[in-house]
Amino acid sequence: MIKIKNLEASIDDKTILKGIDLEIPAGEVHVIMGRNGSGKSTLANVIAGNEAYELDSGSISMNNTDITEMSIENRALEGIFLCFQYPVAIPGVGMAYFLRSALNAHRKHQGKDEMDALEFLNNAKGILSELGLDDSFLKRSINDGFSGGEKKKSEILQLLTINPKLAVLDETDSGLDVDALRTVAKGVNKFKNKDNSVLIITHYQRLLNYIKPDVVHLMIDGKIVESGDMSLVEKVEKDGYSWLEK
Amino acid sequence: MIDSIKKNSLEFFNTNGLPNKKLENWKFTSSKNFKNFSKSSSSINEIQKIKSDELSIVFVNGTLDKDSLKSFKYSHLLEVKNLNELNSKKLLHCSKNFFNETMFNLGMSEFENGSYLSFKNNSVIKDVINIKNYFFENEENKRISSFNIFHINEGSEISIIEEDIKENHSIFNLKLNKFICENSSIFKYGKSFNDDSQTHSLSYNYYQIEKDVALSVDSMVKSSFFNKEFIEVDLNNIGSDAKINILNLGKKEQHLDNNILINHNAEHCTSFQHVRNVLNHKSTAVFNGKVIVAEGAQQTDSNQSNKNLLLSLESNAFSNPQLEIYADDVSCGHGSTTGALDENSIFYLRARGINYSSAQKILIKAFAKEVIDDFSLSSLQDISEIALDSWIDG
Repeated sequence: MIKIKNLEASIDDKTILKGIDLEIPAGEVHVIMGRNGSGKSTLANVIAGNEAYELDSGSISMNNTDITEMSIENRALEGIFLCFQYPVAIPGVGMAYFLRSALNAHRKHQGKDEMDALEFLNNAKGILSELGLDDSFLKRSINDGFSGGEKKKSEILQLLTINPKLAVLDETDSGLDVDALRTVAKGVNKFKNKDNSVLIITHYQRLLNYIKPDVVHLMIDGKIVESGDMSLVEKVEKDGYSWLEK
Repeated sequence: MIDSIKKNSLEFFNTNGLPNKKLENWKFTSSKNFKNFSKSSSSINEIQKIKSDELSIVFVNGTLDKDSLKSFKYSHLLEVKNLNELNSKKLLHCSKNFFNETMFNLGMSEFENGSYLSFKNNSVIKDVINIKNYFFENEENKRISSFNIFHINEGSEISIIEEDIKENHSIFNLKLNKFICENSSIFKYGKSFNDDSQTHSLSYNYYQIEKDVALSVDSMVKSSFFNKEFIEVDLNNIGSDAKINILNLGKKEQHLDNNILINHNAEHCTSFQHVRNVLNHKSTAVFNGKVIVAEGAQQTDSNQSNKNLLLSLESNAFSNPQLEIYADDVSCGHGSTTGALDENSIFYLRARGINYSSAQKILIKAFAKEVIDDFSLSSLQDISEIALDSWIDG
């Protein structure tokens, strides 16, 4: 699925990622944990192609296609989906219009016919219901006036509508109450299958009580310094990260 | 009576000449092209007959085409007079500020055959009336001045959409209008200027508002090389509400300019100004907005907002929102923002597979559509949205 080799990236002349190597095969869920400022969100943004970051070296490939130099939208069309930590509000752009535009951009890229409004609405209503959202959600502007929980559910709604190959969840669990956390986890579990992958970036174990990861990576100062199974999460919860610096 | 006003206006213009940048309302507006235009001598009689319909009132070069009233469905609710026949100070009264404007005085001195159109008491018209302004002029660089008065009498509900239709694009259209809204009337007035022309348009619109009136003024401008509009609203009696929503779309070297003054002269009135400019290339926009709350105009609720979206480094927006408050129990807000498209929003849309150009268009439309959504006339919303789409795609 995704292969990241020796990735170095900076912003405003400050190097954040200092040689990331990461491979997530299809069908697997990986987790990255690390302190604030360790570079987790930078990695998520660099994977998505955020042009605010400078790629200094390394490469990223999706299903053996090199996407290192690809535009943001072409990466998305190749199957990368970033669940934003802080989704932006865009007043005046309706959720339904936005979602259908995004979905049809993907369908066009895949050589499929555009989905008409009725089929789209029927499809979206099923997902909304599973997320505990009212149909009127589609009439609202993108994330405008949404609560923290609604913003994250909106991201999951987009994830399930677009159905990408790789979902990168950038601290999607932050600021969620238990009910919203369960809903988000339910959405991610519905998404994952043997043909796609999930990368979860988080500080806490609580989301991982609902989504079982295959591999856990720990990040310190722009590098992945330890990889292993769920026991790593428990160790971090108990001991923090200082033991990794020895 | 009108002759003496015209005479005084001519004297004022001859004394003061064209406006210059020392004047507050012209600080960011050049009048240098005005001298290229001379007064039109075309007469309505020389002009071909316009085919009208049952919901339209036609003006040709600013003069009412009375033939259009024959097919107008609601002519029985309308009283029409030539302004020469008006002897009422109240009806002819206009803004003192306008009479300090040299171009207003020029227009006042030059107009011929102005009309007074009065909708009778309790004229409730659910249809939207189209005012079609045809401009015919065989010669280049001519100035056509007009002055008309619209009187919405007590208990009436009137909706008007004004449209300019020009064959000659080098016209300077100097338009003066007065609107009187009597007690408990509802008046919705919309304009959509949409012809991508080289027209110069300068208009002075004065609204005299009485008790418990609901006034809305909506406009979308995406044409005219030069478009400057003065709006002054006098809220003279209690319980009235004035809403002004304006969207200007500027390209090339267009100049789009709004000067709005709302006078809260009575208590318990509300007003709302919302002006948005989207500017590309070397276009410029000016917003001079002012709310004056007079002493005693308690419980005034007023809001004023100007937002400018700059799509190029060479476009410019000048914004000057002002409040003058002489009462102590009021709620007044104002604000202005100017900026480019938000890069985080573009990133968000692109991260969902929407290409850069489409993402830009979506955000421009969203910015502009917030004003259109506030238009009180749904048919103007439809017209404006189509015009907006073609502007964005163009």
